[in-house]
Amino acid sequence: MNMFRELLKSPQNHLVEQAVSDGRIPIGYSCSFVPEAFLMADRLVPVRLHAPGVAGTEIADIYLSNFICTYVRSLLEFAVDDRFDLIQGWVFVPSCTHMQRLYDNLEYLKKPAFNHILDVPRKVTEATIAWQAEELRTLADKLSTHFGVDMSDDSLMKAITEWNNFAEVIQSIGELRKKPFPPITGTEFQALLMAALVSPKDLILPKILDFRKEIEQRDGVGEFRSRLMVMGSHLHDPEFIRVIESQGGLVVADLFCTGSIPGFKPVEISGNPIRSLAEHSFKKTLCPRMMEDFDRRLETIIDTVKEYRVDGVVIEIIKFCDLWGVDSMPMVSALRNEGIPVLKLEREYSMGGEGQLRTRVQAFIESMDK
Amino acid sequence: MTKKYFGGCDVGSTTGKAAILDENSSIVGTSIVPSEIDPEITSVQALEKACAQVTDLSSYKDLARIVGTGYGRNEVAFANENISEISCHAMGAFYCNRDIKTIVDIGGQDVKTIAIADDGSVLEFAMNDKCAAGTGRFLEAMSRIFRMDLEQFSVLSLNARKIIPITAQCSVFAESEVISLLARKNPPEEIAAGIKAAVSKRCFSLLKRIGMRPLVTVTGGCAKNQGLIKSLAKRINMEVTALPVDPQIIGALGAAVFAGRNGREQE
Repeated sequence: MNMFRELLKSPQNHLVEQAVSDGRIPIGYSCSFVPEAFLMADRLVPVRLHAPGVAGTEIADIYLSNFICTYVRSLLEFAVDDRFDLIQGWVFVPSCTHMQRLYDNLEYLKKPAFNHILDVPRKVTEATIAWQAEELRTLADKLSTHFGVDMSDDSLMKAITEWNNFAEVIQSIGELRKKPFPPITGTEFQALLMAALVSPKDLILPKILDFRKEIEQRDGVGEFRSRLMVMGSHLHDPEFIRVIESQGGLVVADLFCTGSIPGFKPVEISGNPIRSLAEHSFKKTLCPRMMEDFDRRLETIIDTVKEYRVDGVVIEIIKFCDLWGVDSMPMVSALRNEGIPVLKLEREYSMGGEGQLRTRVQAFIESMDK
Repeated sequence: MTKKYFGGCDVGSTTGKAAILDENSSIVGTSIVPSEIDPEITSVQALEKACAQVTDLSSYKDLARIVGTGYGRNEVAFANENISEISCHAMGAFYCNRDIKTIVDIGGQDVKTIAIADDGSVLEFAMNDKCAAGTGRFLEAMSRIFRMDLEQFSVLSLNARKIIPITAQCSVFAESEVISLLARKNPPEEIAAGIKAAVSKRCFSLLKRIGMRPLVTVTGGCAKNQGLIKSLAKRINMEVTALPVDPQIIGALGAAVFAGRNGREQE
């Protein structure tokens, strides 16, 4: 497990370095609407952007308004500090205005050779899926021209197959969390998941398979007072989950941008790979930016609560996150109406205030009479 | 010693508090001591001081069960268990008055509002812990500007004819604003009333987040600040119910109630 944590210490870990040495091309992205499989074609390597151990955002604060979230601030700070120097291309989604400002400022300050905005509609209809496919085709052509990579249908099909194999392994580990005595803690799962998102899939897969073998031998991970689900904004640092679990709440399910539910669904191939990926990005993402999608999100949470025997849901929101912040208001009421206890936490992107977090979580678990 | 005693210890950022209950759940000892750097030392000092009031007890080690609470609860190694201060304040207030449904706990470093269920458990809570505004530390800093101790500062605003509002949200900026207001010869009691109005406004916003139901009470050291209580009652348009014991020991009292209850359950 330390191995996965080690891979999270730097925004570009040694597996990314290895990929670069092998002539591969890391592409940074920050949103789940970018299908990972798409960025696995040919020599491309998708690297989820994160800013581990960010200590301050003094430079980013000059360029971004006070109401931009600390995730975006942290990424810009790392970018201007050249902490992403191995990233050869950037793909953003205008999922929120904060992320658009990141794209703009990156363009202004760093002038990356490859910086792309993938426009994603806010509704899912036949027309918007076609639009999304068109957007992906434009990106494919741009990547192909700029990097000389093969973005043909055959190449994309190969990438999708590789992604599907990978996603199935992650899912199989996630499924173990449904057990009455799960053999994996939420902290371990979070470290594994994040390490998987920031590393080349082919290089990290053998390590994940070894870890799966190890945990399949386990009887459980000890006594916990309750089973929790965590959902909300970008959550990258496993420390956050560790603090929650230190209070006796085993995190058995997650639903956030980098979470496994429903993020690691295999791509259903329906002939055309671009079209399949367009459909897939809507299916695998449960983001409050989407319109008329509240009921699907609520339903997924309720189903997860039942399947994973969740006692209570922790909603975590990065301060100033428009999407999750607004969504959480009706979501808290809707879940409570279903008899599901909810704790809402506001946090910054980087881990801080451990004492306060402990108090809140402990009180929440106590209030569930656990 | 045949009688059993149960202890609760609330290790706060400014003070350590202890409460001892006997087998009949009657309070037999309480204490408040200044916090040391090491939370464990604070807890020993608070418990020893409370135990000294009980003839049957020669040391905190004679207690049948101890529950730790407060920010330093995890560091009290000798406690049998630790319970969050949110649950303990709820239980402590419930012990004092079963009709209390809402608590504002104004501690040294944070403010909490707690909604209590009919059995004394926590229904909902909200915390302000991102800045010092509205906390005991804030009031301490303000009293220093007026060259007063907390007791004098507590009553200063009671005779104010009007309120001079404090506009700064941040404690540090509020301090410079108050200094400027004093330098311009504004009546100190009216500035003090403005400070307390600012704190009660913060409490009010936290109360609205949990749904305020009567009876409402205030716990924590700042509950002794008469001007603040008056201002809060006005802001919430509701009476603030006084507790029959020192409001500063409510967290420790709740911890002692849990110690007794859980101790008896385990027998």
